[in-house]
Amino acid sequence: MAATSAGRVAVLCRNFQKGLTLCNTTCSNQNNFFHRTQLRFFHPRVSASNFFPSLVEQCRALHSSHSRRGLEEFFDDPKNWGEQHVKSGAPWSAKQLRTKSNEDLHKLWYVLLKENNMLLTLEQESKRQAVPMPSPERLKKVERSMKRLDSVVNERTEALRLLQTGVKNERPGEWRRNCLGQAIWYKFKEHPIPWYMNRRYKKKQFFALPFVNFFTQLNLEKHLRIRNRKRRAEKEEKLKLQKFSKATA
Amino acid sequence: MAQKVLYPIYQLGNPQLRIFRTNFFMTLVRPGKEQPPDTVQFRIPLEMTKCDVKNYLEKIYNVPVGPVRTRIQYGTNKKRNHLNQRVKRPDYKVAYVQLAQQQTFLFPNVFPKKDVAHEPGSMDEIQDKFLEDERQRQKPDPRRGGITDWFGF
Repeated sequence: MAATSAGRVAVLCRNFQKGLTLCNTTCSNQNNFFHRTQLRFFHPRVSASNFFPSLVEQCRALHSSHSRRGLEEFFDDPKNWGEQHVKSGAPWSAKQLRTKSNEDLHKLWYVLLKENNMLLTLEQESKRQAVPMPSPERLKKVERSMKRLDSVVNERTEALRLLQTGVKNERPGEWRRNCLGQAIWYKFKEHPIPWYMNRRYKKKQFFALPFVNFFTQLNLEKHLRIRNRKRRAEKEEKLKLQKFSKATA
Repeated sequence: MAQKVLYPIYQLGNPQLRIFRTNFFMTLVRPGKEQPPDTVQFRIPLEMTKCDVKNYLEKIYNVPVGPVRTRIQYGTNKKRNHLNQRVKRPDYKVAYVQLAQQQTFLFPNVFPKKDVAHEPGSMDEIQDKFLEDERQRQKPDPRRGGITDWFGF
């Protein structure tokens, strides 16, 4: 059996005869299957057409190792080069992303990052050669997906932080009053020395002197006036619409 | 995110900073001036450093990276808008990455010429035919043997 198969291969392509005989001598005592695998190892093209067409086709879809294309990943598939339109799917929705695990999201982020880099490269090259970019809507799609992915991951970290520490903000802070008497959100920062030794921090003012009170009042008045004006305008608009609808009806 | 993140202040002996989910984007560009065959030119955000570029390419793209050189390209502000105000184009950083392990890189032609076959009877085909006819009409008469058309009767 081994001899017949070997003969068939030899007839098909004489170029590999040397290799075949070598294989025959090395594994003449082995069983048939091993012989065939050996052959396949030596001449994958011959075996693909003769011995295991189905097996090879099955294996083609499965890749256990990650792709090592290097800098070619900055370019689209060579099949799409020179095309005017490239088909692409919808962006990832937040709902779809919420069903994924953290690990999957992390991987997807890098897939999207590479895709975006590829599209930016393509865009720049098309600008340079003054030709329209094929399917520029892909850029927006990737951007949207990344934004949503980021929001989903932020949701998760926030939920985890709330569970573990009970703090809502990522960066702690508090409402303080600045030297003009306005309320500001002061974000806390890490310092290598305590605050009473920090000269620059001690120079900062988080209070307002009494002469500012007058201006604070004015500021409040201004704010209230603007708010009231807006409200009145809304009300009048509503009334006008009601009148108009009555007149037409 | 690499940008807009407040990292803990560094004290001697602290571990190296790790970035998860970087949002740096790199654009591979065709070099304007001719570069050696192992040099690749990128446009990168201004915040990115040489070490960042090296790590980015090695960890995400599995590319062996040698020395990296960077410069900042000033975006022109010569342009004026309709109110005669200066319009600034954004600055960007340019990175020249030398590949290690004797690897070379040549920017491929991403827009090769392809013959587009329009289906018969479509608008594109009619337009192509019309343009071809026009071109034919614009050509000088071959029977005149290159004599200009203002000469003769």
